[in-house]
Amino acid sequence: MVVFSEILRCHVIDARGARARISDLSVDLAEEDYPPVMRLFFINAEKQHVSLPWGAVTGGDWRRRRLEVADLGAARAGPLEPPALEVLLKRDILDALVLDLQHRRVARANDLWLGEAGGRLALRAADASLGAVLRRLSRGWLGRGSGASLSDWKNVEFLRGDTRGARAGAYYERRIARLLPGEIAKLSEAIPYLHAAELLTLLPDPVAADVLELMTPERQLQVFEELDESQALRLLALASPDTAADLVGRLAPEAARQCLERLPAAQARRAIELLRYPDATAGGIMTNDLVYVAESLTIAEARRVLAVRLREPDFVYYVYVVDDEEARRLRGVVTLRDLLLADEGSRVGEVMNPRVLTVGPLAAAAEAAYQVIENHLAALPVVGQEGRLLGAVTVDAAVASVAPPNWRSIAPRVFS
Amino acid sequence: MNKSEGSETGLPGSDPTSAVEPLVLPTSPRRVGGGVRLNIRGRSVRLRRLRRQPTGALRWLLLLGPGLIATSAGNDAGGIATYSSAGARFGYDLIWVMVVLTVSYAVVQEMCARLGAATGRGLLDLIRERYGVGWALFAVCVIMAANGGVTVSEFVGIGAAMELLGFNKYVVVPLAAGLIWYLVVFGSYARVERVFLLMTLVFFAYPAAAFMARPDWGAVARGAFVPTLRGDPEYILLLVGLLGTTMTPYIQLFQQSSVVEKGVARRHYGPERLDAYVGAFFSNLMSVFMIIATAATLNAAGRTEIGSAADAARALEPVAGPAAQALFAVGLLGASLLAGAVLPLATSYAVTEALGVPKGVNLDFRRARVFFSLFTALVVAGAGLALVPGLPVIQMLVAVQVLNGVLLPVMLVFILLLINDRRLTGELKNTRLYNVLGWGTFAVITAAVAFMLGSQFLDSLGIRILGDR
Repeated sequence: MVVFSEILRCHVIDARGARARISDLSVDLAEEDYPPVMRLFFINAEKQHVSLPWGAVTGGDWRRRRLEVADLGAARAGPLEPPALEVLLKRDILDALVLDLQHRRVARANDLWLGEAGGRLALRAADASLGAVLRRLSRGWLGRGSGASLSDWKNVEFLRGDTRGARAGAYYERRIARLLPGEIAKLSEAIPYLHAAELLTLLPDPVAADVLELMTPERQLQVFEELDESQALRLLALASPDTAADLVGRLAPEAARQCLERLPAAQARRAIELLRYPDATAGGIMTNDLVYVAESLTIAEARRVLAVRLREPDFVYYVYVVDDEEARRLRGVVTLRDLLLADEGSRVGEVMNPRVLTVGPLAAAAEAAYQVIENHLAALPVVGQEGRLLGAVTVDAAVASVAPPNWRSIAPRVFS
Repeated sequence: MNKSEGSETGLPGSDPTSAVEPLVLPTSPRRVGGGVRLNIRGRSVRLRRLRRQPTGALRWLLLLGPGLIATSAGNDAGGIATYSSAGARFGYDLIWVMVVLTVSYAVVQEMCARLGAATGRGLLDLIRERYGVGWALFAVCVIMAANGGVTVSEFVGIGAAMELLGFNKYVVVPLAAGLIWYLVVFGSYARVERVFLLMTLVFFAYPAAAFMARPDWGAVARGAFVPTLRGDPEYILLLVGLLGTTMTPYIQLFQQSSVVEKGVARRHYGPERLDAYVGAFFSNLMSVFMIIATAATLNAAGRTEIGSAADAARALEPVAGPAAQALFAVGLLGASLLAGAVLPLATSYAVTEALGVPKGVNLDFRRARVFFSLFTALVVAGAGLALVPGLPVIQMLVAVQVLNGVLLPVMLVFILLLINDRRLTGELKNTRLYNVLGWGTFAVITAAVAFMLGSQFLDSLGIRILGDR
């Protein structure tokens, strides 16, 4: 293995003895685990940035800091800007932020290690150690190759801090998707907002929507506004209605209107329903993505209906029992366990627990939240006029609304 | 609030259909106003969760933040000393420098804010990524040394101000350090910003002192708008000193990093630039008031030698009365407290950005260990050293000025190159006018720094290019 800062001190020499200093290397990120070196850049005698394909290298010796090519004159001049999938090691990756997925951390690529992979020279690892800095500054005299804290490149995600850049190369391998959404959200808090937005563009939509939901509110908004419109709307449609409403509620009115116009009808209706209640009320922190079932159904019928309905919503611990689906007046609650264990022939109304705590939509959010927490409930149904079921304050929403604003940093952390 | 609404509404379960009592709703629901009426898909709905954008004065007030804080922190103990001696020594003659400088100052601060919003990264982040680890470490080392020195002088300023107000500095300085530490370590960015903004109100002590001194406003106007240049070596050195104390690298660092931490996104940047402009204008206006206050009193009374900010306050007492002294002391206290927090913060931002480790007031010790350790170390060392008797503060500040002088042109070049890099800033790239003003500022600052360093170097060799002082 050879370190990249060492390569930058090498010269290319051709058969006629002409020589030039290597200025950069490009790699192809679309390729498997270790991106192979594609081209070699240097500044020729006319002071132009030129490149040669890596295949033109006929031999060389890292120790003597030389690479041999047939003819330096064959180098193609032209813009430094490489094709979309190639990135330049010095310009783009060296010193940039990389995500080390194995150690779940963000680090700067203090140096890069290259080595053989699949018979070609390829990028093998990012070096985040302070020794690497020392080595670069001392031009190789100090901090020589311990290589202790290398991040194997197959576990590294590289970000450019540019959402469009990533989209152009969207089909390169998305290693970040190996992590859990919560882990990705936490990592994204430690990087600049443009990098975090880029990260979302690298993820499949359902995962990206989960990650977006788990970010802190401020970061959520920053990132959401950086996404291009179609992706933003797709993620909003996939998010739970309360997350969507929270996000839309923090947009400027005109932006919010456009969002709500363009969301799929069902999601827009749910979000609007939630947005009607002010921030600090039970209605303002509830979700309306519930499962409910009419009390007149038998258990067998209810199971059939629920088999379909349970696919969608986020919160499924309780199934609320209503008088009929239109009026939706709350009668009681059954748990999934009740439904599984009950006799097929009995009616839902006989099995349900009619003792339910409820709260009005305009009750103070803190009051509703403390009821959830003090009574150890998973959720507290919110009912409107004539007992109509409007939504439920879940335990998550309750904790988030009464915890201090920086509760995420106090709460146990997911990694390391 | 109707109590029954939230209470248990269960009945014995014998008749399941009537198990849940019809809910008793509050007869008169809490008045809920506000929200925004929107027309969505042809339906008009009132969405109370939405907030109408603040309008009028409130809107502009809410924009204030990083810019005002950064530039106000620049009017610290060292700044007060320089402005006071400019007023004491040359009366109103040097005010024009501050007027001209305001434009440059606003331009530089705005570029930093824009760079922060456009990239989401701090200045050292960008220097490291674009110009490599060598430049980044050079900047970090100079920043550590210079800011460390200035931090000590801020705590000396806190101590001096409190002694003028009749307190014991051995009690007050550790207390102030503790407060600053607690605020930053346990506060969120939003809270820290709010406290810092409140602290800038202290600067209104200077206009009060200036008005109390009953200056000759005609002479003030002449000094502000009619540039005078003198061959007097002291005049030129003070002029250069005014440039140097106003434009300091840490102010730029803090501006950019705190814009990033405030979470200003590039698409919302437009109105945010006002913060940088207001900051530059406000802080220079306060500097002008310091010059006026000392010019009308000390200069008129022939007391022209001012060594430090506390000196200025002390000198004011016999000339302008105890009220003027108290106002100066309060101003010094506020400025030193603010700068005593901002400097360690700016340093911590710079170092963590260069290393690429987690940073930010919003995090906590566990998640941003380097950031908070460094901050703690700087505050503790600053306050501790400030209490050492016989510390050569003036000599230290001279050394710091040399370091900052070396760093400032380098930083300005980086700022100008980065802001003009379309791959980074895109739409928010500099306009031509900005480039002219930016590079013009760079040229003047570089000349001034070269002059200052040159004269100091020759001075140390015993050669005085400007004749005897």
